[in-house]
Amino acid sequence: MSEEQVVRSTRPLSTAWIGGVCAGLADHLGWPVLLVRLAFVVVSAFALAGLWAYLVLWLAMPRTVAEPSAPGLEANSRAGMRSTSAVSFSGVDLGLATALALLGIGLTWMVQVSGWGLAPRVLAVGILTGGGLGMIWWQADHVSTREVVRGSGWQRLVAPLVRHWSSVVGILIGLVSLAAAVAVLVLGSGLDELGRTILLLGSSVAAIVLAVLPWIIRVRRTLAEARQEAMLADARADMAAHLHDSVLQTLALIQRQANDPKKVTALARRQERELRQWLYGDAPTGGSLVEALTAELLDVEDTHGVDVELVSVGDTELTPELAAVVRASREAMVNAAKHSGADRVDVFAEADEDLVSVFIRDRGKGFDLAEIDEDRMGVRASIVERVKRAGGRAIIRTAPGEGTEVRLELPR
Amino acid sequence: MSENESTPAAWRVVVVDDHAMFRSGVKHDIGGRVQLVGEGEDVPTAVAAILAAMPDVVLLDVHLPGGGGIEVIKQVTATEPGMKFLALSVSDAAEDVIGVIRAGARGYVTKSISADELVEAIGRVATGDAVFSPRLAGFVLDAFSGAIDVASIDEDLDRLSAREREVLRLIARGYAYKEIAKELFISIKTVETHVSSVLRKLQLSNRHQLTRWATDRKLV
Repeated sequence: MSEEQVVRSTRPLSTAWIGGVCAGLADHLGWPVLLVRLAFVVVSAFALAGLWAYLVLWLAMPRTVAEPSAPGLEANSRAGMRSTSAVSFSGVDLGLATALALLGIGLTWMVQVSGWGLAPRVLAVGILTGGGLGMIWWQADHVSTREVVRGSGWQRLVAPLVRHWSSVVGILIGLVSLAAAVAVLVLGSGLDELGRTILLLGSSVAAIVLAVLPWIIRVRRTLAEARQEAMLADARADMAAHLHDSVLQTLALIQRQANDPKKVTALARRQERELRQWLYGDAPTGGSLVEALTAELLDVEDTHGVDVELVSVGDTELTPELAAVVRASREAMVNAAKHSGADRVDVFAEADEDLVSVFIRDRGKGFDLAEIDEDRMGVRASIVERVKRAGGRAIIRTAPGEGTEVRLELPR
Repeated sequence: MSENESTPAAWRVVVVDDHAMFRSGVKHDIGGRVQLVGEGEDVPTAVAAILAAMPDVVLLDVHLPGGGGIEVIKQVTATEPGMKFLALSVSDAAEDVIGVIRAGARGYVTKSISADELVEAIGRVATGDAVFSPRLAGFVLDAFSGAIDVASIDEDLDRLSAREREVLRLIARGYAYKEIAKELFISIKTVETHVSSVLRKLQLSNRHQLTRWATDRKLV
C-alpha cells in the first residue's frame, strides 16, 4: 500500500509548541528537538532571521497526517473498543518554553544594545507581524478537518472559524497585531502623504494575503486528502468483498467436509488467519523475511494439515541468502509435519542487527541423527547444506521421543 | 459447589467478552472445571460483575465497547488493586496486547487456545504467575527492542536482563516452562520469577505507576 515517495518532513501537531516546525525538523534530521528550538531562538536574535525561517517553513511543511491503521483497528477505535487516548499528549513544557523565550528576548536585547541589531521600528514591525501571523496560522492548523470538508464555497472558510470563541479571539488578536505592524510601519516611515498611502495599501494587502494563505493551502490539502481517502475506501471495499467471498467459499467447503474434523479445522484456521491479517494485521511488507515465512507455513499447513504457529521479532528484507534460509525452514516444517507425528509446529524468527535466526520446533517423536543420515538425505541436503552454502549454519537437535528443533542462523 | 472445595483448581472466574457466542462457548468448554461466577459484555457491566462476584481471575477481551479491556482494568483496580486479569483476544495488534498487559493483565492468550490450556492458564494466573504465550513473548521482545512503535511505551523502558531475554526467546520458540527450566538448567520456579519480572518491568515502566510504586515503598 505504501508508494515510493520522497520522505518529506511534516509538522506533528501533537508535539508542537507553536506550529510544530521544530518538532518536524528534529524528527526529519534525527536531532534532539530542544537543539532545533534553541537554534531557531538564537538565530532569531539576529535580524529576526529565525522567525522568518520559521514562518516560511510553517507554510511549506504540511501537517503530519496519521497513517491509517488496519480496518479492524480503526473500526474498533471508532466504536470505543480500544483506548487510543492512552497516548499521552506531551504538551508544552512551560518551564522550558519560558526559558527559551527569555533567552530569545535576552539575546535580542543584547544584539540591539551592541548596535548590531535592527532599527527599533523595524524590529517592532517584525515581531508584531510574526506574532500576528502565528496567532492566525495556529488557528488554521487546529480547525477540525470535518468542518472544512462539509461546507462549500465561503462557508468552508468561515464556518469552522466561528465554531469556538477562542479561535475568534485568537484571530482578532492576530489581526490587531498585524494592524499594529502596518501602523508602525506607515507612521514611522517618514514619507509624504502619497508615499504613506501607497505603503499603507501595499502592506495591508500583503498582511491579508499572508494571513489567509495557510487557510487556502489547508482547504486545498484537505480536499486532496478527502479524494485520496475515497480512493482508499474503494480499494478496501473491493478487498472486503473478496474476503467475504472467500469466507463464503470456506463455509461451503466446511459444510461439505463436516465429517472430516481435521480438514475443517485446517480450513477454519486458514480463513481465520486471512481475516485477522486484514482486520488487525500489519501485513508484512512485500519481500520481507516474515512474509516469505508466512507464505511457506500457510502452504505447509494446507498440504500437511498441521498447525504451524509463527512468532517473529523484527523483520528484514529478503536477500537471496535469506531466501535459502526460508527454503530450508520450509523443508524443516515439512519434515516436522510428515515425520514427527506432532500436530503443531512452532516457528520463531528473529532478525537482530547482526544475526537472523529461525527455529522450527515440534514435540513429536524425534529421531536419531546418526542413524537417519543415510536413508533421509533430505535433512542433510535440503537443510544443512543449503544454509551452509548461503553462509549460515543449521543445527538440528533431536533424540528419539524428545521432539526436534531445527535452528537456522545467518549472520547479516 | 461443596464438592469443589477440596480441589483448589475450581477457580472462580468472570468472563468478559462482547460476543455472547464466545461467552457461551467458554462456559461450555471449561464450565465444568472452573466456577463461572459472572459475565460482562461491555465496560460498565464487566466492572459491576467483577466487583459483585470478586472472582479469582477475570477472562478479559481486549476489545470491548466503552474503552476496551484497558478501561475495565483501570476501573476495577482503582478499588480492587489485587484483581487478576487474563487477556483473551483474536486481535493480533501488538499495541493493544502490550496495552492491556501494561494496564495490569497478568497474561495474554489467543481465543484459539484449547480448553485444557485455558484452564491451566487460569490456574497459573490465579496463583499469581504470569501467562506468556509465544505470541506475547514475541510482542514483548519487539516492544523492548523498540520495534513496536507504541507511543504509550516510554523511551526509558527498563532494559531486560540477558537471562530474561533468553527465557522470552524460549517461550517464543514454543517451549513450556518445564522445558525452559531443563534447557537453562534452572528450576521452574526461577523461570516463573524471570517471567514475572519481565511483566513487572512492562507494567512499571509506565511512569505514573512507577511513582506510585515508589511512594508505596516510601522511596519518595
